[in-house]
Amino acid sequence: MGNFGNKWNKFVEIFLLQNGYVKVLEGLQNTLLIAVCGLIAGILIGTVIATVRVIPKYKRLPRILNAVCSFYVGLFRGTPMVVQLLVFYYVLLPLLGVKMTGVQVSIMVFGLNSGAYISEIMRSGIQSVDPGQLEAGRAVGLSFSTSMLEIVIPQAVKNILPTLGNEFIALIKETSVVSFVGAADLYVAFSFIGSNSYEFMVPYLVMAAIYIVLVLFISLLVAVMERSLKKSDRRN
Amino acid sequence: MIDVIDLKKKFGSTEVLKGINVTIEKGDIVVVIGPSGSGKSTFLRCLNCMEDPTGGSIIFNGVDIADMSVDINIHRRHMGMVFQHFNLFNNKTVIENIMLAPVHVRCQEMKAARRKRIFGSGKSSSGEARLPTRAQIRAGAREEALALLRRIGLEDKADVYPSTLSGGQKQRVAIVRSLAMNPDVILFDEPTSALDPEMVGEVLDLMKSLAKEGMTMVIVTHEMGFAREVANRVLFMDGGTILESAPPEEFFTSPKHARTREFLSKVL
Ligand SMILES: Nc1ncnc2c1ncn2[C@@H]1O[C@H](COP(=O)(O)OP(=O)(O)OP(=O)(O)O)[C@@H](O)[C@H]1O
Ligand SMILES: [Mg+2]
Repeated sequence: MGNFGNKWNKFVEIFLLQNGYVKVLEGLQNTLLIAVCGLIAGILIGTVIATVRVIPKYKRLPRILNAVCSFYVGLFRGTPMVVQLLVFYYVLLPLLGVKMTGVQVSIMVFGLNSGAYISEIMRSGIQSVDPGQLEAGRAVGLSFSTSMLEIVIPQAVKNILPTLGNEFIALIKETSVVSFVGAADLYVAFSFIGSNSYEFMVPYLVMAAIYIVLVLFISLLVAVMERSLKKSDRRN
Repeated sequence: MIDVIDLKKKFGSTEVLKGINVTIEKGDIVVVIGPSGSGKSTFLRCLNCMEDPTGGSIIFNGVDIADMSVDINIHRRHMGMVFQHFNLFNNKTVIENIMLAPVHVRCQEMKAARRKRIFGSGKSSSGEARLPTRAQIRAGAREEALALLRRIGLEDKADVYPSTLSGGQKQRVAIVRSLAMNPDVILFDEPTSALDPEMVGEVLDLMKSLAKEGMTMVIVTHEMGFAREVANRVLFMDGGTILESAPPEEFFTSPKHARTREFLSKVL
């Protein structure tokens, strides 16, 4: 135990005195930024794709759009996130001549990646809504897109909220690979502390604790939101 | 008001409607009856193009709405529809259910008018009335919706969600939801079939009061008593065609077709 105390002291010293906490806060900020922006972009992309995929397909345009969307979804679900990050950062962006920071690339890739997953979640959410809801919207003269936005998607989101929460948690955890493209996340921060003290046990333990606290916090948030959205189900 | 000319509908290779011809005049109350699977719902759903007809035309207020190039949303605003399972919007309160379409349509019109003023011919706008704001549109629609709820005695339910209502209450809200758009005609597909027996009366009473006010209605129902009392024409459908069409008195007392007699002997 004395040994552990030593290690702890070293960690505290670097964390507090050598600006370790600045790195950690910065890492935490980047981790959250990438996960939150990725989730928001993913919800937008996923909703659009899911909607395209449930449009009736008698006409040519919906069929083409649908094919494009399923290609996109297959591509992003069929490759690991790290590979996507590396391909965007080291292959696509240089080829296009675009300069982006590691954090920006990560946000983009996380958005595209979660868009693919969320589109499937959203599609099952939309399919879980009674088709009569869309019909009633169309019957009063609302367009397909207005009926979807006003009536179907809000109910779909309510149905899939727990799954969306899990997706957000998965995104938070997956941010731990963004250092592959030079984004300074929690892992980078704690590695910095570790290598400055030649001591990795405590830094990584604290890192794990931060991840767990984040995940628990999000689970709590989802539970609260679910409860407030349930009010249209309750009899009163 | 509605001229149905040789209306046909196929699902894949099965022909469900085999050439329907009907004229519905303003103020008509047409009741459609017939055995299960005869195409009654399909016929009704073709009238507002919830199902796209695969042949023939539906002339509604002078426009062939079966033509896929017309903007069906505009015409549907003049045709209410009431469903067997109510289909109230679960994510909206009762009053929002009623207000949704009117508010949406009026806001669209307001935006179109504004665009026209900004980009249209640059003539002076001093004589033009002010455009309503979104808040004013909502307030107006809310008043109208409350009046409709008062009519069915559910004013106190304005701000609850549909899941808290009984079946009869839901269907009455669904009926006034379609009234909110001031439709020229309302289509009913078995409006009382999903109701507990003790709630059928309140829904039929509301429909009768609409009939008295001269609302044009097309009603698919198994309520023969109601058909006899309220309809001014009864259509008997079988196998995707209209076999018989007559005023109720004549229809129920001296049906011409053997199939009609057989059907009536089962249900009466
Ligand atoms: N979307 C669809 N796809 C394929 N077949 C359909 C579809 N809708 C209806 N049908 C078929 O068309 C026929 C007529 O159906 P419809 O619902 O119009 O009958 P109905 O007279 O309303 O019967 P019910 O009294 O049972 O409501 C049935 O055989 C039905 O199976
Ligand atoms: Mg039917």
